[in-house]
Amino acid sequence: MARQKDCQAGREHIAKKVTSMKRIYRVGILLLVTALLVGIAMVQKSGEQKRYEASFFDSFDTVTVITGYAKSQEDFEMQAKRLQEKLREYHELFDIYHTYEGIHNIKTINDAAGKEPIKVNEELINLLKFGRDMYEKTQGRLNIVYGSVLSVWHEYREQGIAQPEHAQLPPQELLDERRQHTDISKLVIDEENSTVFLEDEEMSLDVGSIGKGYAVQRLSEYARESGMEHMLFSVGGNVCAVGDKPDGAPWRVGIENPDLESGKGYVGTVEISGKSIVTSGDYQRFYEVDGKRYCHIIHPDTGMPPEHFPSVSVLTEDSGIADALSTSLFNMEFEEGMELVESLPEVEALWIMEDGGIHWTSGFEFNEEK
Amino acid sequence: MEEFTGPVDLNSMKKNDVILIGVILILALAAFGGISWYSEKNTKEAEAVVYVDGEEQERYPLNQDTSVRVSLEDGNYNLLEIKDGQADITEASCPDKVCVDHRPVKNQGESLVCLPHKVVVEIENGEEAKIDGATH
Repeated sequence: MARQKDCQAGREHIAKKVTSMKRIYRVGILLLVTALLVGIAMVQKSGEQKRYEASFFDSFDTVTVITGYAKSQEDFEMQAKRLQEKLREYHELFDIYHTYEGIHNIKTINDAAGKEPIKVNEELINLLKFGRDMYEKTQGRLNIVYGSVLSVWHEYREQGIAQPEHAQLPPQELLDERRQHTDISKLVIDEENSTVFLEDEEMSLDVGSIGKGYAVQRLSEYARESGMEHMLFSVGGNVCAVGDKPDGAPWRVGIENPDLESGKGYVGTVEISGKSIVTSGDYQRFYEVDGKRYCHIIHPDTGMPPEHFPSVSVLTEDSGIADALSTSLFNMEFEEGMELVESLPEVEALWIMEDGGIHWTSGFEFNEEK
Repeated sequence: MEEFTGPVDLNSMKKNDVILIGVILILALAAFGGISWYSEKNTKEAEAVVYVDGEEQERYPLNQDTSVRVSLEDGNYNLLEIKDGQADITEASCPDKVCVDHRPVKNQGESLVCLPHKVVVEIENGEEAKIDGATH
């Protein structure tokens, strides 16, 4: 009887054990199946959005690269095409060399200098107001009515690049004379009537230092409004990140080494999400006279290219401000620029000096390439 | 869970479960193998892709040394050299020579640009890019 009971207990014990083992197996199998399904789902999800790139040349005399994510090549190309057309609109609006049918652009205003106010659209009014505002903020280091001097340099530079053996500097008397026509108080913006007038007929607008940045900023807003959430624009090195990457990672942007002889392409990188970085330097657009390099940025006080350092980059949310500030900083001594940037909230900057030394502001999260 | 009845047969229990687990594992391995084989098949070699004014012209694998003359309709040209897995523009008829001065490229997304000629040489399927864009 006792033995039978023992036996019974033993059988129950084994039965329980088997049941619990069975449970373990089932749980194990369930886990395996789940892992398998999750794994397949993840592989498929990562393949859902692919990375694409498009580049084009029809705006701002430079190359524009758009990097984005889409389900298919067609989807991406459609988005890129819309952005390309939008950027082209700004290019035509800010153009100083050509007029276009049906729009009043910067050239229209320049051509009417000293004669009559020109009716323009709100976008152009906003750009010019922004330019005038930046003149105040930078103590005149950035002057959008410096066209009369810049056009002289442009002419001599084009000539010098086409025929390097005959490259010449503009005569000082000519520059001095042209500088008489750069008074920003003679830029009259009438917001009520939406017109712009240059009171001095020898004066002209040149928005090369802010137009591209302003356009890129508006382009990034347009992208966001159109539901494009993860994009990186580079309009001639004027880089703007719309959001982050689809996996939540920031975009990594290289800061080009101004020393083109060096094997090191980038001095380092910075990670950005929803921000812009713009660089002004003397190593991309320039010409040489008697072995000396003269770049495209001209200091408003001297009428000559500044020679403080080869490159400065500005990092901030608004691409227009980044563009304007990078030009202004290029026209300032390093110490003065550093002081200015540290006084501005949400703006960071990085300088590369002639000797290769690199300086950056306290909030610039720079990853130096060793 | 069903109630346990009948005599215990631990061995057959185990056997069935082992078979089931085995089948699932084999299925899983086959699925993963299939997926990686498929993506392997779709991963092409690193190439230098030549664009003129945004239009793709030609693709050159980076593992074959070659020298290509990219000729434009107006008679201008850029000389593209592929050597040691890198692409470089070594000669060009453009006025500024920015493309010639540029260092060779090999990583995913890197490019050589000749603005006057609207020529872009871009690396596709290259080594993992360290950067997404560049400011200059």
